[in-house]
Amino acid sequence: MSEYFRKYIKKEHYANHYSNLKFKTSFRNCILEAFKRRLWKETDGDDWDIMWAEKEWIHEVMDHTHLQSNQKINHFRNHYELTRKDLMIKNFKRYKKNLEREGKNEEANNYNFFPLTFHLPSEYPIFFEEFKRQSNNGDTKTAWIMKPIGKSQGKGIFIFNKIQQISQWKNTLRYNQDNPQAEAYIVQKYIADPLLIGGKKFDMRIYLLCTSYQPLTLYLYRTGFARFTHHRYDNEDISNTYVHLTNVAIQKTSDNYDEKLGGKWNLQTLKLYLMTKYGQEKVAETFYNIQMLMIRSLQAVQKIIINDKHCFELYGFDILLDAQLKPWLLEVNASPSMTSNTPVDFELKCGLLDDVFTIIDLEKVLTGNEEQIGGFDLICKGTPIKLPINSTFTTYLGAFNNRQQQLKKIAKSTAIRLAQTYQEGQTKAIEVGSKGQKEKEEKDKQMRSSSKGPQVMQNGVNGSIKTTNQSKQNTIVKRNTTNLPALGTVQNKSNIKRYPLQNAGQQSQPIQQSQSNSSKKNNPNEDSMLSANQKLQKLTQESKINQFQPYKQQSQYNDVMGMGSRNLQKNEE
Amino acid sequence: MQQLDNQEILMKLKSQKQFWDIKKKIKQGFSDQQKIGINDIQKFAQSCEIEDQLIKLISHILKKSKKRETLKEDQIEFLNTSKIKWTELLFKNLDIVHQKAKNQEEDDTNTDSKLYIYDEKNLLAFLQTFKQQQPSVLYQNVQFQSNKLLNINIPLKSAQQILDKYQYILLQEELPEEKINKIRKQIENEHLDTELEKIAQTYVPNGERCLLYLKYFEFDHQETVLQQNFAKLQKECSNQLFFDELLEIDGHEISEDTFYFVFQEQILTCLKCFIRDKTIKENIRIQLQNGMKKEHAEFQLPVTGFFPFKNISKYVAPLCYLSTKIHIIYALFKEFFCRYFCFLHAISSEYNSILSLCMQIEEIVSTRSPKLFHHLKVIGCDTLKLIIHQLIYCFVGDMDPPHILTIYDQIIGHDSLEILVILCVGFLNKYKPKLLLAKNYENVQQIFQELREDKFQELVQFAYKQ
Repeated sequence: MSEYFRKYIKKEHYANHYSNLKFKTSFRNCILEAFKRRLWKETDGDDWDIMWAEKEWIHEVMDHTHLQSNQKINHFRNHYELTRKDLMIKNFKRYKKNLEREGKNEEANNYNFFPLTFHLPSEYPIFFEEFKRQSNNGDTKTAWIMKPIGKSQGKGIFIFNKIQQISQWKNTLRYNQDNPQAEAYIVQKYIADPLLIGGKKFDMRIYLLCTSYQPLTLYLYRTGFARFTHHRYDNEDISNTYVHLTNVAIQKTSDNYDEKLGGKWNLQTLKLYLMTKYGQEKVAETFYNIQMLMIRSLQAVQKIIINDKHCFELYGFDILLDAQLKPWLLEVNASPSMTSNTPVDFELKCGLLDDVFTIIDLEKVLTGNEEQIGGFDLICKGTPIKLPINSTFTTYLGAFNNRQQQLKKIAKSTAIRLAQTYQEGQTKAIEVGSKGQKEKEEKDKQMRSSSKGPQVMQNGVNGSIKTTNQSKQNTIVKRNTTNLPALGTVQNKSNIKRYPLQNAGQQSQPIQQSQSNSSKKNNPNEDSMLSANQKLQKLTQESKINQFQPYKQQSQYNDVMGMGSRNLQKNEE
Repeated sequence: MQQLDNQEILMKLKSQKQFWDIKKKIKQGFSDQQKIGINDIQKFAQSCEIEDQLIKLISHILKKSKKRETLKEDQIEFLNTSKIKWTELLFKNLDIVHQKAKNQEEDDTNTDSKLYIYDEKNLLAFLQTFKQQQPSVLYQNVQFQSNKLLNINIPLKSAQQILDKYQYILLQEELPEEKINKIRKQIENEHLDTELEKIAQTYVPNGERCLLYLKYFEFDHQETVLQQNFAKLQKECSNQLFFDELLEIDGHEISEDTFYFVFQEQILTCLKCFIRDKTIKENIRIQLQNGMKKEHAEFQLPVTGFFPFKNISKYVAPLCYLSTKIHIIYALFKEFFCRYFCFLHAISSEYNSILSLCMQIEEIVSTRSPKLFHHLKVIGCDTLKLIIHQLIYCFVGDMDPPHILTIYDQIIGHDSLEILVILCVGFLNKYKPKLLLAKNYENVQQIFQELREDKFQELVQFAYKQ
C-alpha cells in the first residue's frame, strides 16, 4: 500500500514527492478513492501528472494534445485493436496466419482460445455456409451468440440456434453492406458446455496491466473474480439471458438479484473448489493456460498497438472455462468496472488501483526491476517470464495475494536504497563543491603569482603538499572500495545510474566512484553511512526484495489455500 | 451390540482394499509352489507381518460394526429434566413461528424473514437458567466462581489437558512436497480409522480430503448405495412439510455468504432430505430433544427426532467444497451431524456437549485472561455471549472455507469437538486489546462488524499466547 512508502521514505528522498502530483479523472468510484488515498491532488486543468480518462477522451482529444514527458494516461491510442470484439478476433486470426506462414505451427495452434467467430454483416455468407454445414451434420442444437460490436455490459446480446431467429435482424437495415450506419455484430459459436458450479454458469474477470508494448511488459493481478449467474444453467433455454450471461449489469435486472450478494467468488475460492474435483495439477495447468492465453492475446496485437511511454492500460479479461477446464477468451475490456457493490469488493479494487499506481511509479522511487509489486506479478518483459522448473507454481494467478506484506517489504528496501542514494548524492555534491572551490583558489593564486614573483616558491611548496595529501587519500579510498560492505552490487550501481545526484543541488558533472568514496572518507558522518550500508546489506539479505522469488514449493501453495501451513505464522503487529 | 458371524466378517474383509493387497502378497510369495498348505501360509504370514495386518484389519471391522448406541438418558438426572423443559419450550416456539408464518400468508406486507424455532442465543439463555444443584465434590476440575455464566457441576476435563492436547499444532512444520505426496498415497491405501485420524490430526491435502472423510465414515465403496438412498429421500421431498419453509428461510440467509451463495440450492435440497431421513434417529449419537409427543398437537417432532434450528445450513455449506456430487455432500453432512454437531445442540454432561465446551471456555478465559473476562462481564457482554455463535456453528461464516475444513479435519482427527474451545479462546485473545477498550455492548458489536479475517493457525497461536 502506498502508505508504507509514505511511512518509510523520507520526504527529501523522493525524486518526485507525492504531494506535488496531480491527477485528473471524471470517474467517481474506486478510482477517485484510490487517487485520494495516495494523497495526490485533483485538478481540472491540464497540469495533471496522471489522468484516468474515458476511452472517448483518448479517441477525441489525445491525438490533438501534446503530452508532457511526465504525464501518464490509462489507455493506449488504438487500444480498440484488442478491446473491440471484431478487431480482436481479426488480429488474432491474422497473427495466427502469420505464425503459420513462418512455420511456427506449434505456436499458431495455441491460438485456439477464441470460439469460431464471424463478422456480420460482412462475413454473413461464410457464416451462413458454416451454419448450414453444422446443421447438415445433424448438429442442430449448436447455438450461436450474437454480440453487437460497440456495446458493452451484455447489451444487445442474444443466442439462437435457428437461422430464422436472426432473420428479423437480417431483414432490417443492418444487413445491408451499403448502409454505413449498419450496426456491426459478431456471431460466435456458443460454448455450450461451460463448467458449472452449483448448477450455475460463471466467467472469470482477471486483471492485466500493460505498461509498455515495446518491450511487452505485463503484470498480472493475483486476485480476480468468478461471476455467477443467478439462475441454474439450462442448455435448452437459450432465450433466457439471465441463465447465459454473467454480466453484473444483466444480472442486476433479474428478479432474484441480491445486491448484498454480488454473485462473485474470488479466484482463490474458485481454485480451492476446482481442486477438490480436478486435483491440484490439473487446476495449476488450467491457471497457467489462462496466463499464457493473456500473454498470447497481447503478443498478437503487440505490433499493431502504437506504443507510447505516456500510456499504460489495465485490461479486464473475461474468461470462460468449459467442462474440460479449457479456458476461452470472451472479451478484453479496456475499462474494467471499478464500481464496487460490497465492502470487500471496494477494498479489492482500491488495492488493485493502488498497485497500478505504484507500478506506474510517478514518484520515481522504484528500480523498474521488481518482479512483484503488491498483488501484481511481472509475467512478461519482452518474453514471458518462466518460473523455475522446480517451483510448484506455474502461475501466481489465483495464488494467495500477499500484497500488504510485499508492499511493506518493498517500501522498506526502497526507503533504505533512496536514503543511500540521497546521502551519496549529498556527499558528492559537497566533494564537488569543495573541489571546485579549491581549484578556484588555486587559479586565483596562480593569477596572483604570475603578477607577484616572490610568492611563487611559497605557492609551489604548498601545492606539492596538497597533492601528496590527495594521493594519500586516494590510496585509502581504494582500500575502502574493496572493503565496502554492500554497495558494490549491480543493483546499487544501476540505482546510482538511475538517480544521478538526486537532490544534490545543481551539480551535474559526473563524478568518479572513487571520488565519491573519497569524500566519504572525509565525511564526518562516515560511521552512520557505513551503518546504513550494513543495514541495507542485512535487509536485502533478509528479504531479498528485488530478486524474483519463486514459491517455496508447498509452503507457498499452502499459503494460497490458506490452510496447510501450520508452522508458526509471525503476526505482524 | 450386534454380533457378526464369520461369513459376515469375510464379506466385510473382502470390501477392504487392504485385504486384497494381503492376498496378492501371499500369492506372490508362493508363486513357484504348486501345493500350498495352511501351515505354509501361516509361517509366511508370520514372517512378513501379514498376520499382524490381518488381525488389525479384522479388529477394525469388528470395532466398526459395534453399533454406537444413541445416548438418550444423561447420567445427571437434572439434565434429563432440563431436556424435557427445553423440548416443551421449543414446541411453544414452534406454535408461535407457525402462527407468524400463517399471518404472513394473510398479510403480505408483514414479511418477517427471520423465522426460526430457536437459535444459539436461545440455547445459551436456556443453559443460563440452570441453577446449581447440590454442590457436589465429585467434580473438582472447575473452580466455582459466582461470576461465571454457567455454574453447575458436571464432569469436565481439565482445561490444561485440552490445551496440552492441541499444543502440537503450534509446533507443526511445513511439509515438503514429497511428504504431501506420501500422505496422498497413504490416504488412498489406508483403511484403519486410527491411521486416518492421525493423518487428519496433522495434514490433509485439499484434493484428498473428501476421500479421507469417505473412508473414515466407511462410504468409500458405497457410492451407489448413497446415491440410491439420496434419490429416495429426494422423492419424498415432494410432500411439503412446514419445516421446509423454515429451511428455505434459513437457506436464504446462507446465500448472503460470499463463499456459499453458489450452493444455496444444494444446501436446501440436502436439508430437506435430512429432515425426512428416518435413519438419523438411529445413527445420531445423542438425542437433542427428548422426543415426547404432545397430544393432539398440530406438530410432532420431525422424523429426525429434533427440530431444525436457525443456521442449520451452516453445517452443510463448507462440505459443498468437497464434492460436486450432492449425494456425497449429503452423506458427509449426515455423518458429521450425527457424530459431532449433534452435541452442540444437546443438553448433556458429555465431554463434547455444548455445556461442557462452554464451561471449558469460561474456565480458560477466566483463569488465563481474568482481566478480559471481568471487563466483558462489567460491560454486560459475557464471554460466552460473545463467542456462542462461533462455537455453535464451528466458525462457519467467520472463516474462509479452507480454514473451516481444517477444523473439520481436527474434529475427525481427535473424534472430538474440543478444538472449538481452543479456537474460541484464540478468537477472544485476538480481539482482546480492542475488547478491553469497548465500553458497552454496542462497541463490542462494532468491533465484529468491521472487516476481519480469522485464520485457523492464527487463532490457535492466539489461544496459547499468554
